[in-house]
Amino acid sequence: MTEQTIGASAPRADSPAGALRTPSGAGAWQRASKQAIDAARGGVWPWLFQRITAVILIWGLGSHLIATHIYALGELSYGNIGHRLAAAYFVAVDISLLAAALYHALNGVRMVVLDYWFKSAASRRSLAIGLWVLGGAFFVYGMWALWPWITK
Amino acid sequence: MAAKDRTTANVGAGNWKGLGMWAWLLFRVAGLVVAAYLFVHIAIISTGRVSGETTLNNIFKTFDKPLFVLLDVLLVWAVLYHALNGVRVLLMDLGVGIHRHKAVFIGAMVVAVVFLGFFAVKAIEFLT
Repeated sequence: MTEQTIGASAPRADSPAGALRTPSGAGAWQRASKQAIDAARGGVWPWLFQRITAVILIWGLGSHLIATHIYALGELSYGNIGHRLAAAYFVAVDISLLAAALYHALNGVRMVVLDYWFKSAASRRSLAIGLWVLGGAFFVYGMWALWPWITK
Repeated sequence: MAAKDRTTANVGAGNWKGLGMWAWLLFRVAGLVVAAYLFVHIAIISTGRVSGETTLNNIFKTFDKPLFVLLDVLLVWAVLYHALNGVRVLLMDLGVGIHRHKAVFIGAMVVAVVFLGFFAVKAIEFLT
């Protein structure tokens, strides 16, 4: 047990303590747990994009909320939105927000859903495709809705 | 401060023992609330083009009622909680403050409450 001095509180999978939980050997246990972790975490690229969109949202939602709740308080109207979207900065904020928020929200929902359902790889793929279609449709619809203000 | 052993890390933590669990659960609930609101928000703003300027302005007038202002402050809180706990998650991913994650959480919450204060004061000014 001398090798257990490193990381004493976390038994290694190939140690005797870990081997007790492995019916078909330490290698199989490691492969199975790695697959389970990958499935539950939803993949490394969505993980990275979730963090990139998080940073975009902190900037974008910060700008959006300060503009609508602090500076233009009580002035919310069709005309006021047009006035705000006359500035290129807020066009950039709104388009970035639409894209980043849709990705972040739908991937977040996907992460919750993956904790309970969609256990097979094929169904997880279908879920991801379905959410991309939904997000793409809402992005197009959102851009269509903003267009008269942007182009005014 | 060195990391405590896994089996003794929470000893003496009392009611704060499960702080990380509650932080995670509220993070998830707030995220789902804000995600649901996103789609409502897109639907409402799009009435400007679907139904026209007058319809959208009438909806905005409804949102000036006290009930909707209160709901709006709750929404701002959901956004702020999710954002600031999200910053803590980003810091943990970068390896910053992992052994002090409860202190980082409390620090993030102080920042969230200060920001909520700004928005709440503005909401009260708006109502009065």
